[in-house]
Amino acid sequence: MKRILSLMLVLMLVFGALSFTGCSSTTEEPAKTEEPAKTEEPAEEPAKDQEVVIYQNKVEIHEQLTEFAAKYTEETGVKVTVKTSGGDSPYAENLKAEFQSDRQPDIFVIEGMGGYNTWKSKLAPFEGQEWMGLTDLAFNVEGNTFGFPVAVEAWGMAYNADMLEKAGVDPASLTSQEAYKAAFEKIDSMKEELGIDSVVAMAAGPDMRWVTGLHNFNGYLSAGLPYGDTTVLDKLNNGEADVDRLTEYADWVELLFNYADKAVLLTGNYDSQVGQFGVQKAAFVHQGNWIDPWLMSNGVDFNMGFAPHASVYGEHNAIFIGAPSYYVLNNESENKDAVNDFLNFMATNELGHNYMVNEAKMVPAFKNVTLMPDAPLSSNVAEWLKVDNGAYTWLQNDMPDGFGMGTIAPLYEAFAKGDIDKAEFINQLQKKIEEIE
Amino acid sequence: MKKNNRLYYWLFLAPALISFLIVVVIPFAMGIYYSLTDWTAVAGLKSNWVGFANYKAMFSDFAFKYSFMRTFLFTAISVITINGMALLFAFLVTREIKFKNFFRAGFFIPNLIGGIVLGYIWQFIFKSVVPAAGAYLGIPALEELLILADPTLTLFGLIMAFTWQYAGYIMMIYVAALLNVPQELLEAADIDGANFFHKFKSITLPMIAQAFTITSFLTLVNAFKQYDIIIALSKGGPSDMYKGEIVNSSEMLAVHIYNVAFKYNNMAEGQARAIIFFLVLSVVSIGQVYYNKKREVEM
Repeated sequence: MKRILSLMLVLMLVFGALSFTGCSSTTEEPAKTEEPAKTEEPAEEPAKDQEVVIYQNKVEIHEQLTEFAAKYTEETGVKVTVKTSGGDSPYAENLKAEFQSDRQPDIFVIEGMGGYNTWKSKLAPFEGQEWMGLTDLAFNVEGNTFGFPVAVEAWGMAYNADMLEKAGVDPASLTSQEAYKAAFEKIDSMKEELGIDSVVAMAAGPDMRWVTGLHNFNGYLSAGLPYGDTTVLDKLNNGEADVDRLTEYADWVELLFNYADKAVLLTGNYDSQVGQFGVQKAAFVHQGNWIDPWLMSNGVDFNMGFAPHASVYGEHNAIFIGAPSYYVLNNESENKDAVNDFLNFMATNELGHNYMVNEAKMVPAFKNVTLMPDAPLSSNVAEWLKVDNGAYTWLQNDMPDGFGMGTIAPLYEAFAKGDIDKAEFINQLQKKIEEIE
Repeated sequence: MKKNNRLYYWLFLAPALISFLIVVVIPFAMGIYYSLTDWTAVAGLKSNWVGFANYKAMFSDFAFKYSFMRTFLFTAISVITINGMALLFAFLVTREIKFKNFFRAGFFIPNLIGGIVLGYIWQFIFKSVVPAAGAYLGIPALEELLILADPTLTLFGLIMAFTWQYAGYIMMIYVAALLNVPQELLEAADIDGANFFHKFKSITLPMIAQAFTITSFLTLVNAFKQYDIIIALSKGGPSDMYKGEIVNSSEMLAVHIYNVAFKYNNMAEGQARAIIFFLVLSVVSIGQVYYNKKREVEM
């Protein structure tokens, strides 16, 4: 009897250990998953059994999206679950884990060609949906639409309008490298009067490699070209560099670096760069409209707007506008109709517009939206959207993985520190481009 | 009865064995397999066998070689500074002083702070406190010093932060060892007229050789694998020029492997580097333990 008892105990231990190892991998799930407030579903109609799972990467809109999903459930009875990972935790990596789980997401997020190439075996195109006629920014490959634009974002040279007025510089005149040079010189000579440390808040340090390696470098890829023109990018992806264009571009980088504050340029992080602009210690900042929440929560109230980047020679009247990420459809999803209904609802219904503009504080990519964002730079982006040919393409996400932030960003840092001169900077950029197979 | 015993033996061992198999042996074997393929970690994509291509790519990659070199440098200096500081602290807190438990706890506490938090604390010190101190003291050189823009200073900054974190823990091991050194030997040496250095060299050092084996193993392995402090403090930067190439001066192996796997999305290549990383670390640490073991003495 005793022996049997002890044997059972051992067996319990064994299974305990086994189920424990099994459990530990799933315990994280409930923390990530947030069920919509309303969970009861009317069970009469079979169509309503469909449930949409979104796995997305914007931590800052998780709550707003969950709330919107709950409202959608209230309206239609279809349950929508929002799962989020992002910010500092790497989304792409978590997404791979998510696909290994037994409940794959119906909608997930890609950020452009790079994501498309990784995930193309998992994607289904959208066909004949209402929202597709309402935007120019959908993600298309070879005539098929794969991505629903989550929002519009843009960057240019963000300027402090009040300060430029005080310095007697008209932001509308900032359309070429010569104009910028003159303006920078003028503002630089008035540093004391304006109370600034440097003309531009620019960062090229290890924390800020996306600013240089992705955003700034995108000027080389698309500035001065018609929207959607990918010739320079295609050449880059084939390992060809346009040396004349690189030379023009290096002048622009040099100009920005020369008029930047050394500490922010070399060791600054996001807070110190945006902060320098926010506390009016710089007249310009090399960032996009995503700094709005930072500025608003820190009580910044001066007027501001975007001027074009003069990344290459010639006149410019456009800022870099694009959709940073897209919702894509999992081709193994059993809820494709529900996904389409949900996305159409977001793009066409008042509730969807209200969610995108007022709750999530995004600039929607859809032409039928009449609500205007109230954040200063975002509303400026909405104005730029109406300018004819007022946009340059976002191509920075279509370079090979790691090229922007990993391979070329350290070159900017070395150039900013003076380890290499402009000729060597051009030379190295050319070399790195030519190393691409 | 005997047969039964054997059954119990395996039954009791089973939980440990099975967990070890599931979480160590199988993943490790899979890792070796993946390093020989073009695995991408995307579900549903078949990976193809590529043989040693990933290993070849690794050895021709300049960044990898540079990272290896920097890791060895970082490890060598860290092992010395951590053990030196820890031994010094251990001597101080084993003397008859007031508040010695308070000091022991104080030196140990940094070890309870996570590497990420600690990295940000030191980043704040290097970026904000040092210039502010320079301004206060009226030293312009210190005020304008950008520690995290200088490769050498950043390396020492990392070592400083790591030493600050880890020396207290290693100190505890030395404290235990020092308390076990027989007092009668030291007293006898005193009577024979030995000075502090004689005693240290001939009695204390051999008596705590066992602790050395442990501490040098721990510091070596931990320095070699260092990741979180680097990410929080310097993110692998700043850039440096080495033999005409621009490199990331504090991108140690663990950071490098992560970047290759996740930033460049080369999972299999990252995996191959991780295997080499494991092999080198095993050889170095086993060699070190073997060497130190020989110096241990038994009472």
